[in-house]
Amino acid sequence: MDGSVITIELDGGRTGFRPGELLTGSVAWRLERPAKDLEVRLFWFTQGKGTQDVRVTAIRRVDVIGLQGRGGFRFKLPDSPYSFSAKLISLAWAIEAVAQPGERSARVEIVIAPEGKEVRLDADPLAPSVPWPNRR
Amino acid sequence: MRARDNPFSTDRVLAVRYRPQGWDWDALLGRLSELDYRAAIVGPEGRGKTTLLEDLGERLRAEQGVDVKWLRLTREQPRFDRRWLRTFFAGVTDRDVLLFDGAEQMGRLAWWSFLRMARRARVLVITSHRPGLLPTLVRCDTSPELLEWIVRELVGCTVRLPVRELFYHHNGNVREALRDLYDLCAESGSVGDATSSLPPKTAAFCLATRGVGASGPAGAATRGRG
Repeated sequence: MDGSVITIELDGGRTGFRPGELLTGSVAWRLERPAKDLEVRLFWFTQGKGTQDVRVTAIRRVDVIGLQGRGGFRFKLPDSPYSFSAKLISLAWAIEAVAQPGERSARVEIVIAPEGKEVRLDADPLAPSVPWPNRR
Repeated sequence: MRARDNPFSTDRVLAVRYRPQGWDWDALLGRLSELDYRAAIVGPEGRGKTTLLEDLGERLRAEQGVDVKWLRLTREQPRFDRRWLRTFFAGVTDRDVLLFDGAEQMGRLAWWSFLRMARRARVLVITSHRPGLLPTLVRCDTSPELLEWIVRELVGCTVRLPVRELFYHHNGNVREALRDLYDLCAESGSVGDATSSLPPKTAAFCLATRGVGASGPAGAATRGRG
């Protein structure tokens, strides 16, 4: 680890997206040591109880010219899986930029779901959201 | 409660590192040297053997600049593919540290064969449920205080959680106790509400446990490995 700084900016500052949308953004770097390669990865990961899963679904390579600079990237977002949370598992999407060699990286979490908002499944599905009608 | 907000989610639990009990790292590395770099971390399930092995590997890598190679057997995968193992050992040099998690899964013959193949490695440290495979480097054990410390690391406090009760219920298996705490929080909606779903006896026990104040998961947002 060194004092290098990598930042990811998503166009319009958006973090909520619908499946199939185009995501565009840029990655800026200020490195203490030269990098051979800078990758921007779109991936999902799980959190919760039990084994964690991670899957990288797309990678873009950014030409790193000099110790300081900025480059753009774009991803066509996949149709699934949606960002969701339940009691036992949450699935989240993220964009990660990693400069090699070394452990220099940055990450921004995003949401991919029909309304651009995480699907919530953690509420009790049997719990009435409105008072029960009087059955008499 | 969303799984990602649960203070006992796997990524957060894994971020809590081994807490030496009654020894320090210099003493442990000294003992490893005395044992000619062939040693075992011993203890029953859920005592932190794997966490300690990971931390030891990081120390050896950082302090001695060696390469660390991992091998792992579990109840679900209790043996190595022979061809794969031969290929693996063909790449092992006298600069390598071999860390083998779950050595107790091996039968006696397989173990002796493994030891022969591992001769070239500079260091071999294993974890095992039982002593006797290699000289014991350290015996991992847990205590109610240790589980309380882990819970404080994850939640910020132990108040209103049946930490000691779960410790004894699982005979000191901290991993299982933490899984139960996960379920408790998941069902309760929040750590603060966890007591409300417990039977009266448990709730009374919780209220009697020490610790005051309540706060959200400490550093939760930055702990996740993802």
